[in-house]
Amino acid sequence: MLVYYFILAIAISGTMMLFKNRILNIGLACLFILVQIAISVVAVSHHEVIDSVYFKFDSLGILLTIVLAFLTPVTFYHSYLYLKRYTPLAGRQSIYWGALVMLIAAMTGAYFAENVALLWVCIEATTLFVTILVFHSRSKTSLEASWKYLFISSIGVAIAFMGILFLTAISVESGPKSLSLADLISNSQTMNPIWLKIAFILVLAGFSIKLSIFPLFAAAIDAKTLAPSPVNALMSSALVNVGFVGIFRFYCIIAQTEAVGWAQNVLMITGIISIFLAAIQLFKVKRFTRMYAFSTMEHMGIVCLALFAGGPGYYAAILHVVLHAFVKSGLFYQLGQSNYIFRSIWIKDSGAYFKINPMGALVVLTGFFSITAIPPSGLFVSEFLIFKALFLKNHIMVAVLALIFLTVIMFEIGRFVFHLLYDEKPAHLDENNLQINRYETISQFLLFGFAIYLGYNPPGFLIELMNSAIAILN
Amino acid sequence: MTYFFIIVYSITLVYFALSERVKKFIVLLAIQGVLLFGIVFFNLSHVALAEFIFILVETILVKSLVIPVFLNKVRKDNGLKRVHETEIPVFYSVIAVTAILMGSFFISNYLHQQNIHTKFFTVAIASAVFGIYFIIIHKSVFSHLVGYLIIENGIFLLSLAVGSDIPMLVNLAVLLDVLMGVLVIGIFVNRVSDRFQSTSIDELAKLKD
Repeated sequence: MLVYYFILAIAISGTMMLFKNRILNIGLACLFILVQIAISVVAVSHHEVIDSVYFKFDSLGILLTIVLAFLTPVTFYHSYLYLKRYTPLAGRQSIYWGALVMLIAAMTGAYFAENVALLWVCIEATTLFVTILVFHSRSKTSLEASWKYLFISSIGVAIAFMGILFLTAISVESGPKSLSLADLISNSQTMNPIWLKIAFILVLAGFSIKLSIFPLFAAAIDAKTLAPSPVNALMSSALVNVGFVGIFRFYCIIAQTEAVGWAQNVLMITGIISIFLAAIQLFKVKRFTRMYAFSTMEHMGIVCLALFAGGPGYYAAILHVVLHAFVKSGLFYQLGQSNYIFRSIWIKDSGAYFKINPMGALVVLTGFFSITAIPPSGLFVSEFLIFKALFLKNHIMVAVLALIFLTVIMFEIGRFVFHLLYDEKPAHLDENNLQINRYETISQFLLFGFAIYLGYNPPGFLIELMNSAIAILN
Repeated sequence: MTYFFIIVYSITLVYFALSERVKKFIVLLAIQGVLLFGIVFFNLSHVALAEFIFILVETILVKSLVIPVFLNKVRKDNGLKRVHETEIPVFYSVIAVTAILMGSFFISNYLHQQNIHTKFFTVAIASAVFGIYFIIIHKSVFSHLVGYLIIENGIFLLSLAVGSDIPMLVNLAVLLDVLMGVLVIGIFVNRVSDRFQSTSIDELAKLKD
């Protein structure tokens, strides 16, 4: 089934790029939304079934694809608004739509890849499409951001490939020669632990650019600074989830061996450094896009700590990833509107947002409470579970350190958000020419609402999917 | 014969450290492609014919012909001749590449594994690490592209070192990755040069807050 999905995605993307027609683009975008929802439905109805030889509709893949299916129509709607505002040229619009469709298809492929080599291929493909999308404005700074992302991501993914090759070597020794995840997990106990550790650290370092964590976070932050806001929303949610899938799959392999403690310590160090760097960097940020990009880094650092804690931390990690995707994408969609109103992404150019756009300001305020995990945010539940797991496992120092950094981050984000909401109106703003679309905020309220609902009252099937995704670890 | 190719491949790494001319970088990459072809030719005769031919085409056609020709076009389009951008003297770079080769030799011996071909593994690791070193010491986007290709060649050798018969699908993906990577990065080198009137990465530092 996934083969047909990819063929359709390529056909839709190719047609968009070839014909360069606005109406056709919108029609095809609507068709792709249906295709994306259809593949999610098919995945749910074929739970744990192998598809197209190298893919499997497993619980984690289904969960993240459902999140992506929710984000796809919202991203397309905001992309439509973005292109209407900033991109009059039909040719560039078509390239944008085509690349966006392929990015979503590549991410879906990465979620369901059951073969580690194919997982790597799908992740590498996302790099190419993200680069095209970041370069959309064709400005000097977007060229710089896309160059850095393309280059560092290529290097990172090449490093991750070295990890996959090491895994190939030790899987040859320990069992049947296969790069299937199921085979690698079943053979993991007979693998040489030193090689397994090397493979894990290479994969973690390589995919860190996708997860936006230490060590390769810088290029991802730069790309998110300049990417169009709907693309930014996807990069900070669904694409980050791709990075999580990449690392989580390898963690599942190493978790079956005696090297699991070592891997957890590596994740702890990575997580703490990521949160620390996010806290430090937030003192220096001058653009909202960069602020939210570092916030993503902080949240993925927390996810690393959840994997480090193990036990109940695994469930909390997956819940956190899902809820973060809804909240962060909502914030970036709103950022698209505020950027348009202030004609700037710089913090200094904003202010008095409550007076200018009350509905948008309410979204920003709700988003602030949500992203900093202040109740009733859904992220409060997942973060509470993560810290509970850390305390239960007696990692008190790590938990306290992380909480100190989180307090700093909360203060910094609050400072910038309240500047946007309550500071003086910027001098350059011409209120007579403001075009505010009130309906634009509906999607953001819905996303925050989802995050609250799923955090406090997750439906049974969601709990089942999350428990099934971590069953191999418990 | 394999040892001869591997030793010559190691020597090309030393030459990369010694060179400052862009044209020489391209020639060295083409030589590395031919050497990889030689290594494959003498070591992979036991794999399926189709796969064998595919890998041969990958090395001789893509790595030693298509990529160097494309790089040469990028070089000519941007008028690149000599790189002066490295702050580390050539002498230190030669010491560094020697240390990298020796270090990877010791690591290979330390991590000795029955099914890993140490002869390939040593030079593969050295190539990947040297590629990263090459990127770090150079400040031109073109040199970075060359460094990326040195890493990719190292990874190709690594795939030979760890069992030498990776599925065809993966081979195809790796080839596409290299080809697309080089073409896309090459296009970006042109764009950077057009916009900034230079290929120096010092120009690419406007994003920091």
